Amino acid sequence: MGVPVDRPPVFGVLAEFSGKDELIDAIGHSKDHGYRHMEAYTPLPLHDVVQAIGHKNRLPLIVLCGGILGATVGFAMQYYLSVEAYPLNVGGRPFNSWPSFIIITFEMTILFAAFSAVLGMLALNGLPRPYHPVFHVDGFEQASRNRFFLLLLSRDPVFDLERATEILESREPLSMHEVPF
Amino acid sequence: MSEIDARLSKIQGRALRIGSVAFVLLIISGMAGPQRAMQSWLLGFLGMCAIGLGSLGLLCLHNLTGGGWGHAIRRVLEAATKTLPILAVFALPLLLWPQGLYEWAHPEVVAADPILQHKAPYLNTGFFRIRTVVYFAIWIGMAALLRSMGSVFERAPSDANGRRLRTISGPGLAVFGLTLTFASFDWGMSLEPHWFSTMYGVIFIVGSVLSTLCFSILVASWLARCEPVSRYFQPGQFHDLGNLLLAFVMLWAYVGFSQYLIIWSANLSEEAPWYIHRLGHGWQGLALFLLLFHFAVPFLLLLSRKTKRRHAVLAGVASVLLVLRFADLTWLVVPAFERTNPILGLILDVLAIAAAGGLWLGAFLSALRSGPLHSVAPPGPAEAQPASQT
Amino acid sequence: MSQATTPPPPDETRTAAIIRPGHSLSSVTDKISKIVLQRHTPRGWFIGLGISFALVMLLLWSLTVLLVKGTGIWGLNIPVGWGFAIINFVWWIGIGHAGTLISAILLLVKQDWRTSINRFAEAMTLFAVACAGIFPLIHVGRPWLAYWLLPYPNTMDMWPQFRSPLLWDVFAVSTYASVSLLFWYVGLIPDLATLRDRAKSRPWKIAYGVLALGWRGAARHWDRYETAYLLLAGLATPLVVSVHTVVSLDFAVGQVPGWHATVFPPYFVAGAVFSGFAMVVTLAIPLRKVYGLEDFITMRHLENMAKVMLATGLIVAYGYAIEIFTAWYGGSEYEMFMVQNRMKGPYATFFWALILCNVAIPQLLWSRKIRNSLLALFLISIVVNVGMWLERFVIVVTSLSRDFLPSSWDTYEPTFWDWSTYIGTIGLFLALLFLFIRFLPMISIAEMRMLVPAEEEPEEEEK
Repeated sequence: MGVPVDRPPVFGVLAEFSGKDELIDAIGHSKDHGYRHMEAYTPLPLHDVVQAIGHKNRLPLIVLCGGILGATVGFAMQYYLSVEAYPLNVGGRPFNSWPSFIIITFEMTILFAAFSAVLGMLALNGLPRPYHPVFHVDGFEQASRNRFFLLLLSRDPVFDLERATEILESREPLSMHEVPF
Repeated sequence: MSEIDARLSKIQGRALRIGSVAFVLLIISGMAGPQRAMQSWLLGFLGMCAIGLGSLGLLCLHNLTGGGWGHAIRRVLEAATKTLPILAVFALPLLLWPQGLYEWAHPEVVAADPILQHKAPYLNTGFFRIRTVVYFAIWIGMAALLRSMGSVFERAPSDANGRRLRTISGPGLAVFGLTLTFASFDWGMSLEPHWFSTMYGVIFIVGSVLSTLCFSILVASWLARCEPVSRYFQPGQFHDLGNLLLAFVMLWAYVGFSQYLIIWSANLSEEAPWYIHRLGHGWQGLALFLLLFHFAVPFLLLLSRKTKRRHAVLAGVASVLLVLRFADLTWLVVPAFERTNPILGLILDVLAIAAAGGLWLGAFLSALRSGPLHSVAPPGPAEAQPASQT
Repeated sequence: MSQATTPPPPDETRTAAIIRPGHSLSSVTDKISKIVLQRHTPRGWFIGLGISFALVMLLLWSLTVLLVKGTGIWGLNIPVGWGFAIINFVWWIGIGHAGTLISAILLLVKQDWRTSINRFAEAMTLFAVACAGIFPLIHVGRPWLAYWLLPYPNTMDMWPQFRSPLLWDVFAVSTYASVSLLFWYVGLIPDLATLRDRAKSRPWKIAYGVLALGWRGAARHWDRYETAYLLLAGLATPLVVSVHTVVSLDFAVGQVPGWHATVFPPYFVAGAVFSGFAMVVTLAIPLRKVYGLEDFITMRHLENMAKVMLATGLIVAYGYAIEIFTAWYGGSEYEMFMVQNRMKGPYATFFWALILCNVAIPQLLWSRKIRNSLLALFLISIVVNVGMWLERFVIVVTSLSRDFLPSSWDTYEPTFWDWSTYIGTIGLFLALLFLFIRFLPMISIAEMRMLVPAEEEPEEEEK
């Protein structure tokens, strides 16, 4: 991306909160100060946190496309193989026995849609990602227990280490950490 | 409140007028061709029975499972079950003159047909009449019991009352399934007395519940637009009703296709003719139409959250589906008849549906107006709300 | 017009019934992850795993003998070409369906009581499908050529025959296995991250860390994750119906009396759910006892499952009744003979035992008292498991052994190898379950957190 000199000294600033209301409050406060690049870490999915952070979910569209692709592939495969590639008379049924083809078409739709859902979710989330700077932070493992974290990223154009620390500190977090790269 | 009542009473009057006129016209046509009129009447009768009986089933189901969807339509369902005596009256032509519809009611036909002789212990006019009377007796009794216990529970929503309500609803649902299955065999399947399908009852039950859902969504959406009562209806309830509708649209396609696939694949001479009638002689057009508008289009529309949360849009889907329910019933029943004049037949069908529908709607609205228009007390176990902290 | 204005009764006991009061985010996390991470392995676990592992050895032995000698070691003959292999296949697949039902359908209809049993039920699905999958493979006769079932370009220039329900099975079961695995694994990801963060020893930290794919609970990730999970549930629901429909079509599409019935698809699906829930109850009752999970798998769960068993059992009974009625009503002499033969023929004992197990005894579940008695529930669930196995036996064997032509009639008797393979798969199923219980959280921690009331907890340190 940039020359190493441009790189900010830290990945971001992380604040730990005891509840989701404090977290949402801190998100709002940071947004008031012009911060846009941030991430919240919670032990469970919380709709109001996502809303506070702001996020558009494109996954359903991906799954729909996957499903349509699966249906097309499923029926086209059966049609081509039974009518063109290997026409076989079975009990006088037509080569294009569409009632019989519905089942596998359906199964392929589900199969493709399900894989699109999972792979799409992982891809959009940037997973698998074995290394991430927040893992350096002592106590971050509580994010999978009962703590709520807010990370202001240094990538944000308005980011300033001291300002960011001040902003988060004003919300009285349980702890504050600078996250190295 | 009285404003709604006035509007309902106006609709009621109009429905009764349309119904009576259509009924008189049907009777007049019946003078010229009684058999034709009977065939069309069967269609109207079955169409209305579907709603009355589906209400009975949904009421039992809601008593058992609870859920916001049920509170939105509970009054509609209860009012519809009050019309069961009217539906019993609608059944009178079938009881008085089964010969007008059913081959097996003609002794000379049975005498020449060994299979019909085999079935004669079941398919004979006497037993047929008894069964129909018994079905209606059971349904009317069950409906009265459900309504009275439901109102007891609403007045005093104690655990014991709720449990009592569920104690009759469980077996009620079982009895409902069994009686409606045999009623559908008697009234519908025996039109082609050689043909049989173990799925027929299931298809009929699913169709009935679907009709009821469409109808009650329409009424609920109408009520949700009227002031004072509108605040008792929430988007969440319509969302649930929309999901239920979606589930039943899928179920309808599932049972219909399963039966078709099994019969098509086996291709047996005693089963295939039923589909040969219904996928030829022009009926294939109707079949395709049903596939598109009774399944594909509503299915795609109902997948969207937006359709389900706006009750006006949902009501639009439901009204189209309700019309299609009659088309489905037509496809199920009418190909059994040998009609020399299909255009006249179609006119009479529409007339009969208008007659039965108008008269039934009048009875329904009078039942609906006799009580409160919404229910608040949730019967059954409290429904689960998503526990996530939203 | 009078106004009914009774307000809905407040219902704070409800959530409490699914999870005992007093739990918090931290206590849920600690209590469930402790089972995997810290708790001393009970001796019963070793004994259980030992026995089931011995049965797995029996399975491997039976399969080896089968590979060497061929399907002749089974009791199959002409006309009974479908014996234990198909019976067990259908039985196992059916058991698997309850898992998907609990995790997917109950999620869609917002029944939050499912949360504490869904992970376990999903695992049960996977293992049951694994056991089920063995049977059609070994039943093809030359299992090493089973890949011929897949459509792939080959030098023989031949393609599968897509009009056959047996091929639909290949697609349905493999799709089902894949989607179940995805569903289960996606559900596990946040919990694997939890275990990674709690694990004390480095190898386990790495193992759980790799499997957790770097999950860190970011809000946007959670959002997509929840969407993916819901969509998977929405896809799995029709899928599970389709799978048992295809299984029923294996029978119904043919013309054999007793197999060719249009009601088979819904009635098989109901039967699958029936037996599946019975299996969940059979396993859940001892498990909650041994691992002290009474807080999470409460009586409410068991009672609800009993109700589902009762409902699906009634649908199955409806299927039997309509089948018998239609056999007479249809007027086909073969169908009528089939019913008579089931009731009075050489396998009549099996038929009446199945009626007893699937129709008569489950009616006890109408009683609240029975539904709330652990012992009664446990016994009934076992009876239903047996009954549903008998049902498949009756369907497969009575119909085949007495087909259209009396000169080709024969009786079917399972051999030692039939039984050993069957019992071996039960061992495989149990062994996989034991391993699962020990190494993965059997209750979804992330979802249990959602059931915890929102107010903050008394702080207690992790032990």
